[in-house]
Amino acid sequence: MRRLAALCLALCFTPVPSLVSAGVDEAVTDVILPAQARFASETANLAAAAEADCTPETLKDPWNDAFDAWLGVAHLRLGPIEEEGRGLAISFWPDTRGMMPRSLAGMIADRDAIVDRPDEFGQVSVAARGLFALEQLLYEPDFSGYSSGSYTCRLATAIAEDLARMAGEIEAGWRDGFAAALTDPGGSPYLTDREAVQALYTALATGLEYNQDQRLGRPLGTLDRPRPTRAEAWRSERSVRNVILSLTALEDLAEALADTPIPETTDAFGGAIARADALDDPALAGVEDPAGRFRIEALQTDLGVLRRTLDTELGTALGVSAGFNSMDGD
Amino acid sequence: MTTRRTFMASLLAAAAAPKLTWAEAGNPAYLGAAREADGGFALFGLSADGADLFRISLPGRGHAAAAHPVRPEAVAFARRPGTFALVIDCARGRLAARLEAPEGRHFYGHGAFLHGGEVLATTENHIESGEGRIGFWAASEGYARIGEVASGGIGPHEVRTMPDGRTLAVANGGILTRPETGRDKLNIPQMAPNLAYAGEDGVLETVSLDPDLHLDSIRHLAVSAEGRVAFAMQWQGEAMDGVPLLGLHFRGEAPQLLEAGFAEQVAMEGYAGSVAISGERVAITSPRGGRVHVFGLNGELAGILRRSDVCGIAPAPAGFVASDGLGGLLSLDTAAAVRPLAHAARSWDNHLVALG
Repeated sequence: MRRLAALCLALCFTPVPSLVSAGVDEAVTDVILPAQARFASETANLAAAAEADCTPETLKDPWNDAFDAWLGVAHLRLGPIEEEGRGLAISFWPDTRGMMPRSLAGMIADRDAIVDRPDEFGQVSVAARGLFALEQLLYEPDFSGYSSGSYTCRLATAIAEDLARMAGEIEAGWRDGFAAALTDPGGSPYLTDREAVQALYTALATGLEYNQDQRLGRPLGTLDRPRPTRAEAWRSERSVRNVILSLTALEDLAEALADTPIPETTDAFGGAIARADALDDPALAGVEDPAGRFRIEALQTDLGVLRRTLDTELGTALGVSAGFNSMDGD
Repeated sequence: MTTRRTFMASLLAAAAAPKLTWAEAGNPAYLGAAREADGGFALFGLSADGADLFRISLPGRGHAAAAHPVRPEAVAFARRPGTFALVIDCARGRLAARLEAPEGRHFYGHGAFLHGGEVLATTENHIESGEGRIGFWAASEGYARIGEVASGGIGPHEVRTMPDGRTLAVANGGILTRPETGRDKLNIPQMAPNLAYAGEDGVLETVSLDPDLHLDSIRHLAVSAEGRVAFAMQWQGEAMDGVPLLGLHFRGEAPQLLEAGFAEQVAMEGYAGSVAISGERVAITSPRGGRVHVFGLNGELAGILRRSDVCGIAPAPAGFVASDGLGGLLSLDTAAAVRPLAHAARSWDNHLVALG
């Protein structure tokens, strides 16, 4: 029956040719798979470091390396990361309801023994897992005073191991099937080449939008009410670094996906990354200060221009655009 | 004086045997509007297995929002906040009637037929007051306007006919918009959506959720043969709030909310685009989250399908049929396992309308 369905798909669906052949193979092989491998290895390093010494001063460096690697894959919200709530469990942000400190404090107060059962830790609320849970434990004074041998130390280790497990599962999922579903479509979830291109292009466009609206937009808030503590990873002062690393990864994906040069997009990425580099405001605290705010808004404007440039130069060439229904609701 | 009720009764008595039926339009199982590869828009009649049965050009993006139960007539509304709707003769491929919203009203994009197709009900905005209205139109009188009642809230969106054929379920989304500000939402902090039941004489019952959920705009509906109403919602807060987006209701009872677990709720991005009931299952789509959630009517999650830009959904004998912005028509079984039915170079618009 399955074979019949596969046969039908092969016969019934003629791929719609796009204007230029898209570099799905290059994007998957040269950009995505290496980035997934890096995230898996950096989180494995983090877990190994925690096994050896789970105190904050030891864990901060490998945690930052793991977060850097996450930004290489965070925008790839397709395939294995969509299963079992992994994306949210790795990156529980923005925490709009303040669930994370409550969840962590609750586990610590209860001495929840699930930290000693790695096989079960995946059942813990997503609000007490992932990179942002560790950021709280490592950087938030309410938690970060813990010592070796404390419950919080074991919790940090359990979170690190859970992260490594999920990153490993995601990498394996890409290697053992999902990469091929994109490069050789013809079934679920991608029926045609065009759908595979569309999926990667959507990840790219959505990733840019996320930097503009979430990573920059949330702390900017409104002129009357800037919200610096709504910046992503402000405790660890990674907010701008996250934008830069995300843009770098998105540019790699765009360049791979395009089979021809995309000079205007390349320039727009370069300009935005340079402006972010020059901000000298790692946690985006400048949203509260007129001059700082002006510079952050300028970066946000750059990203809007970049999105339109990408759509005109790459989206049009690939024959794809952002979602018909997702972008125009009813 | 002729009351609305006696006028409607006279319409029913005078109704002649319809000359054409859906058979003359190929007996479609579904209607869907789409943007085509050349950028134009069209209405399609589809067979149960997703094949095109007819194609009729549309002047712009719109919804196929209602199908006459007997005559091969589909009502397509202009994009919100539109002031006209087109009744399309799907057998002859031509315009059967054009509905103009009365002075001071605009349409909200959905409609439903009452009394076996004699009366079309449309959701409208009384612009001056911002209050919702249900407009009534006589189908056999060239869709003449015959009256209106209050919808029981602000921003009524989808309206569906209850099994008795004369009561309407109305999704009062709660969001105030005005023509001069387009789709800008003007009352988010105060919004108070509800599910209302209305007849020709007005509202019979309204159902609201807990005040904590007052930002959950009740927008789309499905009704089972037993009179169970499924309502799909669009959250006006943060996607990360992970609130319920689907509820079930029987008249006179308390509503029941259905959820798929926090991570999956968050993944829906606070947005359900369409809802359908099929047998013992109910499904909602999220084009933003690229997901279909299928539940049992007992409230238990039955399955999840991930599919980019999926939005239209309608019942099918074995489960559901879903449509998406990539041109796919998909068959879903009762656990959301998917089998592609058809694929065309077009983008299916938000809704898929089931006939019969």
